[in-house]
Amino acid sequence: MLSRVADSLYWMGRYIERTDGILRMLKINYASSQDDIQEFSWIPVLRIFTYLNDEEAAKISDDSQAVIRYMLLDKDNPNSVVNIVTMARENARSVQDHITIEVWQCLNELYHAVREERLLKLLQKEDPITILDDLIKKGLLYYGTADITMARGLSYSFISIGKYLERGIQTADILETKFSDRNFNNESADILYWKYLLMSVSGYELYLKTYRGGFEFQNVIGQLILNNDFPRSLTHSVSHMNNYFNRLQQQQGTKGSEELERRMGRLRGDIQYSTTDHIISKGLHVYLGEVKNQLNGIADLLNQKYFAPT
Amino acid sequence: MGLQESLQSYIIDDRTWDEMHNGKSIREQYLGIIQNLEYVGTEELSRKEELANRLFMSQGITFTVYNSGEGIERIFPFDIIPRVITATEWKFIEDGIKQRIKALNLFLKDIYHDQFIIKDGMIPAELVYSCPHYLREMYRLKVPHDIYVHIAGIDLIRDSDGSFFVLEDNLRTPSGVSYMLENREITKRLYPDLLRKNNVRSVTEYPNLLHKNLVSFSPSQQANPVVVMLTPGIHNSAYFEHTTLARLMGIQLVEGKDLVVDNHKVYMKTTTGLQKVDVIYRRVDDDFLDPLAFNPKSLLGVSGLLSAYRQGNVAIINAIGNGVADDKAIYPLVPEMIKYYLNEEPILKNVPTYLMTDRDQREYVFSNIERMVIKKTNESGGYGMLMGHAATEKQIAEYKEEVLKNPREHIAQPIISLSSAPCYIKGKLVPRRVDLRPFALCSAEGIDIVPGGLTRVALKEGSLVVNSSQGGGSKDTWVLAS
Repeated sequence: MLSRVADSLYWMGRYIERTDGILRMLKINYASSQDDIQEFSWIPVLRIFTYLNDEEAAKISDDSQAVIRYMLLDKDNPNSVVNIVTMARENARSVQDHITIEVWQCLNELYHAVREERLLKLLQKEDPITILDDLIKKGLLYYGTADITMARGLSYSFISIGKYLERGIQTADILETKFSDRNFNNESADILYWKYLLMSVSGYELYLKTYRGGFEFQNVIGQLILNNDFPRSLTHSVSHMNNYFNRLQQQQGTKGSEELERRMGRLRGDIQYSTTDHIISKGLHVYLGEVKNQLNGIADLLNQKYFAPT
Repeated sequence: MGLQESLQSYIIDDRTWDEMHNGKSIREQYLGIIQNLEYVGTEELSRKEELANRLFMSQGITFTVYNSGEGIERIFPFDIIPRVITATEWKFIEDGIKQRIKALNLFLKDIYHDQFIIKDGMIPAELVYSCPHYLREMYRLKVPHDIYVHIAGIDLIRDSDGSFFVLEDNLRTPSGVSYMLENREITKRLYPDLLRKNNVRSVTEYPNLLHKNLVSFSPSQQANPVVVMLTPGIHNSAYFEHTTLARLMGIQLVEGKDLVVDNHKVYMKTTTGLQKVDVIYRRVDDDFLDPLAFNPKSLLGVSGLLSAYRQGNVAIINAIGNGVADDKAIYPLVPEMIKYYLNEEPILKNVPTYLMTDRDQREYVFSNIERMVIKKTNESGGYGMLMGHAATEKQIAEYKEEVLKNPREHIAQPIISLSSAPCYIKGKLVPRRVDLRPFALCSAEGIDIVPGGLTRVALKEGSLVVNSSQGGGSKDTWVLAS
């Protein structure tokens, strides 16, 4: 496979995953902002998904409309949904001969949907959740279509590596930001906080089933980092990334980079063999910092090894 | 307004050949489609028109217009009424194009080898050497099977008596074939069963035929040569066509930066290292192919490509240097070429063409300018043209000045009126001018023309310019089997 093609597929996977993450985050936080928490603030969301500095973020953080507008439609925000969907589509457009026509059409339709001119007006007049839901659904259509139409060849492996790497980075970012946001003392405000955090990563129901005794921040950490059944957990993301990397090496028929293999394996082990106690005693921030460093190192190596050969 | 009324008020002027109407009644070949349209009714037709636009948009059959840094997706306007060509007309077109391409291929071989045609005094040497697309790099270079023009898109128009004229020979990187294929796909959705009922010949085999030909030009002895399609990239307005063809043929779509030349061999950069390339179907112009040989500023090409080509290590399709054969100042000599190389009478007519280098011809054109169109010899897409009947005096004066400065770069032709065909515009059937670009494929085994082509249409009332850059659209083109 051409290096340029592999690069585009990998980034296509990453951008779509990010789009999904942002849209869900916006939807649940918007709902949360309507739920009378006096302390509700958009600052953590802005910190995870935008490049605004604290001062700029503070300016719009009380205005849900403005935040959604900025994160969804602002062309000057490099990480806005409209911009990343455009990049995902540009990537897809340049590798149309490596994805199925159905996948291409899904992405193309998502692209036309986020660029719909009416969107801005609708956002002001109507319920933002309706709009976000519609976009989320269009994204889900992509996931389903990719699942049932794409051959499990090289293309699929590169897309999946991008997807799970992005997901891992997102989960680490969300944990880091959400946990540094405030002090926890198990008041009722905390319950709402955890509830909405879990909902924003589609993990609320699983939490209720797994841990029956109310909200404990140890349990939230447990689910987001260590629960392999939870599709957005760090361990799930990293082990899937690993699987697709191993598969890629088999498909290529040549040994990939040993360094990359070593780092992937080490990260997987580090997370798999952690416990909540271990993480807390180490300090959540130190722990997440290490994980993020490792993820970024893997991204750099992928780039060197596959996408930018000299 | 119903379709019946629309048909009754279908006005054609008697100086124009209409594809559907002969002045008294509807031509036989259109009866099938017209009956269906009447049955369907205008309301449903308008719905079909919307459906067609939506299908083009969602499938990404679009080109991007870059405006103030932002890309806007546009579709190439599509008219839902197909253009119909009878079996007899097609046979004539087919024979004419085959004859023409045979002669043009011989001309290219001759002009890059022994130049008998110059030595025999049929063509002045300066006309050839003054063509910017005559490339000395090609001199005495043997190309596989002596074929230069592998893919041609010959533009045909019809004069008021219905006879076919060749307007342009596109022998470099003719585009539009994806619209021939996609328009047909859309027709299948718009008019279920109608193609079969009307005995319309299929165009579907085009990509397979092209792929078979591309493989046959491989210089390598291997059974499965690596064939790639070279595109300038996603910003090119024909990018949709490049991806479509690559997909339909199952070949790699590459950009210049994906390729590298080492020891006169071309490789592509893959995730497992370098892989040798045998055949390049390029959609990049000669000038941009190799910065070492041609335009040094080109970022679209591959350094060293020409040397690999000269060594015979890679096939390039179409061949380099074909521009000398479709130069508009060479065009008037094609009928002579046919006689000279084939000893045959030309089947398809040429539009009379006046060379601006010739003083008498130039004077004639200037004094009859309201009936003339002046074109640049090496521009396409409807750019840089002067239509005498529509220009202001100031425009004419300025253009004349330009012609006098560079007479070799201009030619003139009488304005030919182009045939009209019915279009569905704002709920009515109205005549609009059309041309026809069939696509011919040449291989060692002969020339194949897929029964169909791109019908371009000037959607503006009264306009004679069908180019997409000038408000043109396209139609599905039906060639009937009987």
